[in-house]
Amino acid sequence: MPNIAVFIEQRAGQIKKVAWQMLSEARKLTDAHGGEVWGVHLHAASCNVNEDAGKHGAHKVFTAEAAEFDRYDSELWTQAMAAFINEHKPDVVLVGSTAMGKDLAPRLAARLKAACVSDAVGLSWDGGLVVRRPVFAGKCYADVATRGDVAVVGIRPNAFALAETGGAAEAATFSPGLDAGAAKAKVSAVETAAAGQISLTEAEVVVSGGRGIKGPENYAMIEKLAEAFGAASGASRAIVDAGWVDYSHQVGQTGKTVAPNLYVACGISGAIQHLAGMSSSKCIVAINKDAAAPIFKVADYGIAGDVFEVLPALTEAVQEIKKG
Amino acid sequence: MKIAVCVKQVPDSESRINLSGPVPELDTSSFTMIINPYDQYAVEEAVKIKEKLGDGEITVVTVGAEARVREMIKKDCLAVGCDKAVVVDDAALAGADSFAVAQVLAAALKREQFDLVLFGIKAIDDDASQVGIMTAELLGMPHVGYIGDLELKDGALTAKREIEGGVEVVDSPTPCVLTCGKGLNEPRLPSLPNIMKAGMKPVEVLDCAGLGVEVPASLTEVKQFAPPPPRGECTMIDAEDPAAAARELARALHEDAKII
Ligand SMILES: Cc1cc2nc3c(=O)[nH]c(=O)nc-3n(C[C@H](O)[C@H](O)[C@H](O)COP(=O)(O)OP(=O)(O)OC[C@H]3O[C@@H](n4cnc5c(N)ncnc54)[C@H](O)[C@@H]3O)c2cc1C
Repeated sequence: MPNIAVFIEQRAGQIKKVAWQMLSEARKLTDAHGGEVWGVHLHAASCNVNEDAGKHGAHKVFTAEAAEFDRYDSELWTQAMAAFINEHKPDVVLVGSTAMGKDLAPRLAARLKAACVSDAVGLSWDGGLVVRRPVFAGKCYADVATRGDVAVVGIRPNAFALAETGGAAEAATFSPGLDAGAAKAKVSAVETAAAGQISLTEAEVVVSGGRGIKGPENYAMIEKLAEAFGAASGASRAIVDAGWVDYSHQVGQTGKTVAPNLYVACGISGAIQHLAGMSSSKCIVAINKDAAAPIFKVADYGIAGDVFEVLPALTEAVQEIKKG
Repeated sequence: MKIAVCVKQVPDSESRINLSGPVPELDTSSFTMIINPYDQYAVEEAVKIKEKLGDGEITVVTVGAEARVREMIKKDCLAVGCDKAVVVDDAALAGADSFAVAQVLAAALKREQFDLVLFGIKAIDDDASQVGIMTAELLGMPHVGYIGDLELKDGALTAKREIEGGVEVVDSPTPCVLTCGKGLNEPRLPSLPNIMKAGMKPVEVLDCAGLGVEVPASLTEVKQFAPPPPRGECTMIDAEDPAAAARELARALHEDAKII
């Protein structure tokens, strides 16, 4: 009978897709076990999340408006979410494991003295919440039970499928009880990445290159294939450390965790630290000239071949299909 | 400037975990233990700050059995420039969750007035990314999470953190908690003479009672560890030449897997 609150994150005027994924999954739980799904949304200017939230499973959407919600602030978001939780007492609060969510969830949980679990890929209800999450670089999963009145749970983007089985959500507002004076660390500017760049952690498709591409000049080959797919481009640590591409592209244990629909690993051996960042991708393609490379153990499709021969042809074939 | 760096000992990611089914506990006997790689960025950043200011003191703090963490504290922390260490060794903390550890660290950190408290962004064993930020909350300090760039000013700092599609620039007064990731610096290796000298630096060992706190209860509990969901067999695409293989792959992704 859990009431599940879902934090509906907005950045730069865009709602994060993980919010709809969380609502969809939460609704599955409440349909099976009772309880309600509540969307919680903080906004500065006018907002219109109700319809989408309802469609994806929210019974109610609680919104709070304040000029301060224009730009993310750890302290103010913590205050607002804590105010909501103290007033409405959900049993579970879901927060996307995004840059914002990873920043917010621990601070919020500590303020509420609540259980906190991050980067979950599965939720179940067995008299209480059980959260499934990868640990030890994805080499195994832990099923975690939580204690206390409320649990704050981070959800890995793309872990849950979207469902549009909901209907209209009831709209409500709440008072965020802001004390702006308590906010000491302030975001003074946001530098946006070059236009057209797709964010690695949010991309539906990721194409990554490793040492098999032989040199920095060949990363363009990865970017071309990525462009054909409409994908973000990633990298193994080997080529980041070699200075061939910027660290922001690194996928893996000491880089980004991605879970796209399709991950294409080109000239990447598949070291455990790389797998840690991508092994929960839905479909994995590996192109590697060594047929015994460990990457094939996690791949769904493989070509044992030379990236210099395969990638240009693949880029062309994908362009053809995309043209329709 | 007084800086604290909180570090954790974790199993090397090469450590093998072979599960054929769910188990209540993992066999950790074969694990090789190392300093959490992210914490090395925090240590390095602290040392860089002290070098730049030409003044200051760096205290490294860890929770763990003293006998197990001794070498890590000496080699990876004191030998690369930290000045002293505090080890909270309490058998009752075995299996403690992030919030319990954060409470213990906060108690240890409250004993001194630190201007900066540095953490790694996450530990590579439980990957939780929680302890640093929770500790900030418990200390009543602001935090900047996942910094990739840091500039100190008098009584304040500016840090940059990567977000989806950009970078946030955050200004904060000190004291402040920072969580450090790759890209911030290149951790140095300890030299042999410095490892020898590190043996002389003070290491204080105490338990929760010594900190004046009760052993905090964990609010989360691992019920079982399970193998990752099996992935299907890999379909190897064979064709007469690489171009044909590429076309077949594109077709399969389009028609069979329906991804493109
Ligand atoms: C603490 C720690 C953290 C780490 N974190 C990360 C991380 O976050 N991300 C990460 O990626 N790694 C990480 N690593 C490093 C990891 O262990 C590997 O060293 C790294 O992933 C290897 O990168 P690679 O696959 O590009 O290179 P290699 O292992 O050298 O593999 C290159 C592959 O390319 C293939 N190849 C060569 N030429 C061709 C060709 N012409 N066509 C097709 N294939 C070809 C080869 O068969 C080989 O399999 C970490 C390591 C440690 C110790």
